This record gives sequence, C-alpha cells and structure tokens, in this order.
Amino acid sequence: MSKVVEGLKYTEEHEWISLEGDVATIGITDFAQSSLGDIVFVELPDENEELEASNSFGVVESIKSVSDLYSPVTGSVIEKNSVVEETPESLNEDAYSAWLIKIKVKNASELDSLMDSKAYTEYCEANS
Amino acid sequence: MSSQKTALYEQHLKASGKIVDFAGWMMPIQYKNLKEEVKAVRENVGVFDVSHMGEFFIEGPDAIKFIDYIVTNDILSAPVGKAIYSPLCRENASIIDDLIVYKLNEDKAMICVNAANIQKDFQWIRECKHNFDCTLSDRSNEISLLAIQGPKTFETLEKINLGFKIKDIDYYSVETFSTDDGEIILARTGYTGEDGFEIFGSHEYIQKLWEELMRNDVAPCGLGARDVLRLEVCYPLYGNELNDQLTPYDCNLKWTVKLTKPNFIGKDFLTDYKSQSTLIKLILEKGIPRAPYQVEDEDENILGQITSGTMSVSLNKGIALARINKNLYNPEKNIFVNIRGKKYPATVVKKPFVTGGHK
Repeated sequence: MSKVVEGLKYTEEHEWISLEGDVATIGITDFAQSSLGDIVFVELPDENEELEASNSFGVVESIKSVSDLYSPVTGSVIEKNSVVEETPESLNEDAYSAWLIKIKVKNASELDSLMDSKAYTEYCEANS
Repeated sequence: MSSQKTALYEQHLKASGKIVDFAGWMMPIQYKNLKEEVKAVRENVGVFDVSHMGEFFIEGPDAIKFIDYIVTNDILSAPVGKAIYSPLCRENASIIDDLIVYKLNEDKAMICVNAANIQKDFQWIRECKHNFDCTLSDRSNEISLLAIQGPKTFETLEKINLGFKIKDIDYYSVETFSTDDGEIILARTGYTGEDGFEIFGSHEYIQKLWEELMRNDVAPCGLGARDVLRLEVCYPLYGNELNDQLTPYDCNLKWTVKLTKPNFIGKDFLTDYKSQSTLIKLILEKGIPRAPYQVEDEDENILGQITSGTMSVSLNKGIALARINKNLYNPEKNIFVNIRGKKYPATVVKKPFVTGGHK
C-alpha cells in the first residue's frame, strides 16, 4: 500500500502539490515512484520558465521507461530541486520530501479540481 | 487472442513479479528490484523463466544437413554436443529470426527461437524442407525453459536436487539427461554474458526445479534485468538490432555467415552484398539513450538511430546500440544523441560495455 500524505492535492498523473500563498510545490507521489521502480534520471525546467497547466514540464526515467511530468497549474518556475536531478534515487527513498519544482501560481483556483488525500487514495486503489 | 501463461505464472505472482504482456505472453518484467536482479546475475546467481521461447526438433538422416542449409552459420562441421548461434534468413538474406541450434545427435537437433517468431519461423522452415529426409516438430507448448545465470551457477546447481548430476560441460555445449520427470536438455548458454546454464524440460520438471532454486535463494529475475544484462554485453535483440528488413551484414553478424559452406539460403545474395550500415556502441555520461532517438554528429548530420538503450546498472551510465549509415560516419567528429530535442554527448566504444564472466 503506497503512502498518501494528508493536506496535499493530487493529480491523476500521480503528482502531489502543496500550496503556500501563491507558491505551489510539486512532486511525484509514492505510488508513482513505486510503479516506476528504480528512478535513474530526472530532467526539470530551469528557473523563470513559464509552465502551462496540463503541459509536460520534465521527465522522470526509470531503467525501463520514460514518464512525462505534468504541471497541474499555470505559472513560472521559481526554483527547481537540483538535488533530485543529481540523486534521482532520492525519489524512491521519500517521494514527498524530494520535491521537484516550485511554481509561482497565476490562478490558485486551478487547484480546486485536484483530488484530496482521500480521493487520491481511492484513485490509487482503483488503479493498482 | 488472449495472452498465454507459462507453467510458472503462479510462482511469479508468489515472488511479487510485475507481469507484462511480452510477445503474447504474461511475463514478469521484474520482481522486487531490477537493479538487484542485474547485480545477482553479475555477482552471484539468478534465474529467468524463458519458457515463452520456442523449441523445434528436427530429426532424421538429413536433419543436420537440412539445418545447415537453412541457417547461415556452420552446423554441419560442428561436433555433436555443440550449441551454435545463427541468423535464419530468406533468399534475399533478410533476417527471419536469430536462434540457437543445439546439436543433440548426428541425426537430431533442437532449435530455440524467439517467442514472437515461433509461427513465422516454423512455417518458413516447413516450406524449406522439400526433399530433405527429416521430420520437423514444434514442441514449444510441451517444454518449459529456465536460464540460470551468474558466476555461482555451477556451485549452486551442484548442491541442489536436479534429478540428475550436473556436469561441467563447456560453454556453448549441450547434453541430454533423463530424470523421473522426463528427458531434460542441459545447455551452457544464456543471454547475459555470464556463466550459466539453460535447462529445457517438461512443465512438471521445471516447476520442481524453480521451487528448488527458490529454496536455495537463487534470485528470480525478470525480462527487464535480462534486457539490461544483454545490452551491457552488446547481444543483439530481434525486433531491435535485427529485423525482417536487415541482413546479417547490416547488424555486425558477419561472423555468423559462413560463405565457405557449399550452399545455404541467402548465400547468393550475401556473396555480393555490401552493407551501408553498422551497429555502434555508445556510452553517455549524462542522459539515457533509448530507441529510436536520433544519433547526430557535431555538424548536425543525422547518422542513424538508437536500436536499444538503457541505464547500465553495472556502469551507472547510459548505454546504447545504434544503427548508423557507414558513409556518413566520421570517427573524428563528436557524436550526440538527440534526447527530447537536446543534444547529449556520446562516446563510441569498441568493446562491449561490460565483460561477462562466461568461459
């Protein structure tokens, strides 16, 4: 059973989002890292890059596969987690502390349609 | 058509195998951890269920002569008890499959073929038989196959109950043994570059052997680890490096074509054929090359594309085989792999990425 953290928002592509003020922190969930297996490569956007909701902003690669990362919100990248790019395996160790990027969000209401921890737990159960 | 299951399907589930559809078979892509599986085979011992592969038997006075005629490698002059790798080609030398011929007797051989090609191969071989005095049978459905691979394979098989006494046969050799669960074929072959055996037997025999291996802590390994292992030692995979549109000369398999043989299918074509392409080996310090990414040089000439690529577990670097146009390739120029629009520098190497420990 994969771990789901309360108080975060979740996407159908298995990303988690936490919002503080107008800054959203985005990562991949425990379910995602577990399905991918050993993560060996992470590619993230640079600071100031403008992201559009639902567009791909980077990739996570395991030995066998490439998975796109999707931004659930529109905004500009204010920080990327270079540590994760250098040590991709940190995503396997704790997907909720190994955040990927921070975005300055244009419209916080874009998060309203995302799942809460309860809905996401059910979503994972249906998809496993 | 729904996917088939091997005789070990329940055992894979029990060992936490992640099941995927591979060539119409429900196969474990990995168990708990792909990296650990690769390491087990390089340093210790691991077992793969490869029962999805096909086994044909050719028997009769002309059996060996017939196989020698349909494949490009030399089967006729090999001694009994040898295993021989070879492409199977059409008249125009296009590769139908790559296979291993196990020369069991002067008038009997087994051919082990890729799962995805069983029907295509069998039909082709049957059509080629004409007046050769031999019988051809597809026993793929009766036979299960385990590949036990790694430096500690022999000592592991020595201490377990195999139903026969393990014998230290040479690399690429084969021998038949009888057991209470039927005849088994023991071969010192594999697809990992390491020492190891492949054991062909009845479903009952192989199920018992699997349980025995699990009791002795042999690591179950999936198709994911198998692909990393074979790519680290640069073994080609049908569907990636080899396919229906290519000849052995296009895939660095000239060593498997024996033009000195009096006659074989594809000989006339290959005698005059000059290939325009070659396979090269690439290592990347950063980025993971994958099929079918483009390979370019520093002047933006597109040289070809990746046929197989992965992250090497043993080297912790991106590795790939790529088919490139020989005429465009200049070894003096820097090479790049185009990964999602970005150019990642690649180094061309001559030797396999990893040297396996097989004898």
